[in-house]
Amino acid sequence: MSKLRFTFDGHDRTAAPDLSVAAALTECGTQAFRRTDSDAQRGIFCGMGVCQDCLVAIDGVPNQRACMTPLRDGMQIETQIARPKLTAPPAQKKAAKRLTPAVLVIGGGAGGLNAAIAAREEGADVLLLDERKVPGGQYFKQSASPDATPLDPQQADGKALLRAALDAGVQIQSQTEVWGAFDGPEIMASDPECVYAIRPRALIVATGAYERPAMIPGWTLPGVMTVGAAQTLWRSYRTLSGRRIALFGNGPLTAQVALELANGGAEIVLLGEAASSPWKRTQAATRMLRSDPRLTIKGIRMLAELRRQGVSLRHMTKPTKIEQTDSGLWVSYEVHGRTKQVEADAVCLNFGFQPQNEILRLLGTKMRFDSRYDQLRPERSEMMETSVHGVFAVGDCCGLGGAPAAAVEGRIAGRAAAGSKVTHTKEQSELSSHRAFQDALWQVYAATPVQLETVTPDTIVCRCEEITKRVLDDAMGNGHTDIGAVKRATRVGMGRCQGRYCGPALAGYMARRLDLDVQDLSFFAPRIPIKPVDIGTLVAAENLLDQDGSDD
Amino acid sequence: MVPMTDQIDLLVIGGGITGQCAALAAAEHGACVRIVDFKRNAGSHANAGSLHVQMQSRFLRLNPHLADNLESSLPLYLEAVAAWEALDRKLGGVELTREGGLMLADSPEQMTFLRQKAEREAKKGLSVDILDRDALPKIAPYLGSTIMGAEICHDEGKLNPLIANRKLEARLTELGVEHVYDRIIGFDMTTSNPIAKGTIDHSADQIVIAAAWGSGALANELGLAIKTPPEPLHMNITEAGDYRIHHLIQHAERPITLKQFRSGQVVIGGGWSAQAGEGDGIPTILSQSLLGNVALAATIAPGIGGLRLLRTWAGYNTPVDGKATIGPTLLHPRLHLALPGDAGYTLGPVVGQCAAALAMGFDPLTDPTPYAVSRWT
Repeated sequence: MSKLRFTFDGHDRTAAPDLSVAAALTECGTQAFRRTDSDAQRGIFCGMGVCQDCLVAIDGVPNQRACMTPLRDGMQIETQIARPKLTAPPAQKKAAKRLTPAVLVIGGGAGGLNAAIAAREEGADVLLLDERKVPGGQYFKQSASPDATPLDPQQADGKALLRAALDAGVQIQSQTEVWGAFDGPEIMASDPECVYAIRPRALIVATGAYERPAMIPGWTLPGVMTVGAAQTLWRSYRTLSGRRIALFGNGPLTAQVALELANGGAEIVLLGEAASSPWKRTQAATRMLRSDPRLTIKGIRMLAELRRQGVSLRHMTKPTKIEQTDSGLWVSYEVHGRTKQVEADAVCLNFGFQPQNEILRLLGTKMRFDSRYDQLRPERSEMMETSVHGVFAVGDCCGLGGAPAAAVEGRIAGRAAAGSKVTHTKEQSELSSHRAFQDALWQVYAATPVQLETVTPDTIVCRCEEITKRVLDDAMGNGHTDIGAVKRATRVGMGRCQGRYCGPALAGYMARRLDLDVQDLSFFAPRIPIKPVDIGTLVAAENLLDQDGSDD
Repeated sequence: MVPMTDQIDLLVIGGGITGQCAALAAAEHGACVRIVDFKRNAGSHANAGSLHVQMQSRFLRLNPHLADNLESSLPLYLEAVAAWEALDRKLGGVELTREGGLMLADSPEQMTFLRQKAEREAKKGLSVDILDRDALPKIAPYLGSTIMGAEICHDEGKLNPLIANRKLEARLTELGVEHVYDRIIGFDMTTSNPIAKGTIDHSADQIVIAAAWGSGALANELGLAIKTPPEPLHMNITEAGDYRIHHLIQHAERPITLKQFRSGQVVIGGGWSAQAGEGDGIPTILSQSLLGNVALAATIAPGIGGLRLLRTWAGYNTPVDGKATIGPTLLHPRLHLALPGDAGYTLGPVVGQCAAALAMGFDPLTDPTPYAVSRWT
């Protein structure tokens, strides 16, 4: 296939088809995409549309996420400056539609696809929205190229599941982002051509989770990204985030991605795991094996394969600082209490997951805090219905549970949302064993989390507004005891990612300092838009008000 | 910090801009001051920092019967902006600018309305001019082509309320003003010093009620039939762009305020309604206000179309009767009201200072007689 031509800051570039702008720039060796107010450089961080740090200007229009934008031939891409000019964008008349599916599923991962299929099998008309060009979610992570052969069984399973959803008659809207959730529920969403106001009879939220970083000096540098971002570059675009890659994390994903990148030709200079060796936790490891022998053996094989590839997995290892040098990123890390250093082109971090529960919180579903996983979880019935009638929630947006559990939850919620009263005891027992596996897995991987208590005062906590821990400490020292007051006093959480990274970290930090329990109110209040939305889309959506005469 | 004490000269009920400025003025005159605040839905914490002076077309449209009240308050608005400028200097800068406010028109009828309004406002001492279409591109190139002209009020401006609130709080702490979290539900006037009753008793020589939408219930306790229902309003803010919008923008007929902070973010509001919170809950936003407000802004100022909307929120305005209420209550001369009566953030510093001055016996910034409590009896 012929390559696509584009320019970056005026220089001619070429890249393979079916890449995101972020992948194309990475292929061309570019890591820095934008400049902040303090003139710091930023690049890909989350790789999944959450962090808003990979913004570029495309064909004169600023504020485009490189990770979510497919590359087109002839694009003129520019580094995004901190304060783009106020110029009216080219007139784009988006269409506006009202939709009333019986069941609306938000998110096309393991939970959402299974929910959609189950609801469809009960005869409901089902609409599924997914942000990416090809749905599949973070676990099944599909190739952006329709002809690509799946990399492995995990990707093949996802492709088959997506096919099954289409065959079942699920209407799938890809590249569609939800930005509004109002009582009703009424969901507002948009794709590149159209804006939608959707009033389903039942709503299934399956929005998954995003990754928690380690907030250490240098975590905002270009080339430092989440483990999942590096995985997306590889699995969806066959792009390596760098030649030499260091990965630090907690849990099996980091090791899995290290192996995938090594198989893809990257040199893994370090794979650091915060937990101690699983062989030291034989009781939990045995429980893992009992609750899911297949997955446990898959994990053991993965570790063996890593060794064969010559990748050394260092336990009790945590990054402490990342610095930019002429030749790459210089990472300091602690291993068994000793400080060491390593140089890499890309550094990947994953220290747990944060549920994407913005829609649930906006709709007012009752939440409780799970202190073991450090996450809010919605209260749900056995049928996965939340405290708000007709609103169901499945998978990791309800707190970590893993893809197999999400799939079962999806099937249960899908049938119930379609009006079926049938329950399958087999599913409840499957769910119990998946949860037992997760429980044992995270006992095996138990580690002290990287918390704000341990980082230096000049560490950036809010990437968007470039707010350091010192500024937050000062605000708390002035007697602010609620997170909203700290936000107003410091601007923490006021930037483009809307507090997705700093919010959970600060909520926990404040609660521990004040010796309070974490609860829903400990976090930033949920706000609309759920993701930044361009003004043209809102103007198009206003036409929907005229249609039903609700505009006063 | 002054320790918890019963030797309080002035107790201020309400920790928003009005109460803070009452406390500031009193503390600067050497008084021992305590602010007691319920910490729920303070209008000042949701405010977007417009400095209003000219009569807001929105208020006139919604409250035609109160137009005289608003017009007679215009001199107070001029004093208010001067008070804000003094505060800006005192606090070391709160991003206050007074580059003027534009009220736009897109029909000959609206131009006529603005001409008449400008004439009335000039008589009250406001610095206003009528601008035709040709004058606009030079000062406001981001405006849309439907705009026929505007009234400019040179007195108007804007500031960054996040910075102002933070710096004011720090200044009050420096002066030893005590900040207590409590909800006042009534008074005990039988003791030597009046007592404001919350979860604890707060006794003071003088008490100023500056509780915005919470003031009505307290005034009723004192036999005054003042209604202060909160007006939940919708606000929007975009991501940052090049700083080009210098004026405070309004419209002659449609509800909008639009301005740009020095951070580059554009703030869009103008009185679109929000949903009141249940009980003490925070107000929530309505989709029709979000879409209507932003679409109107994009029509008026197409130049903001390349920015994305980052956040919306709702906060309480307390319009009362469009006129401030300042001074001692008649039956209890040691209890004072400090109610801006609309545009509370603009009027807060002057209203708070005047109320504190009457309570503590120093000079008010302006003669508060026209705003005396007597009109409520």
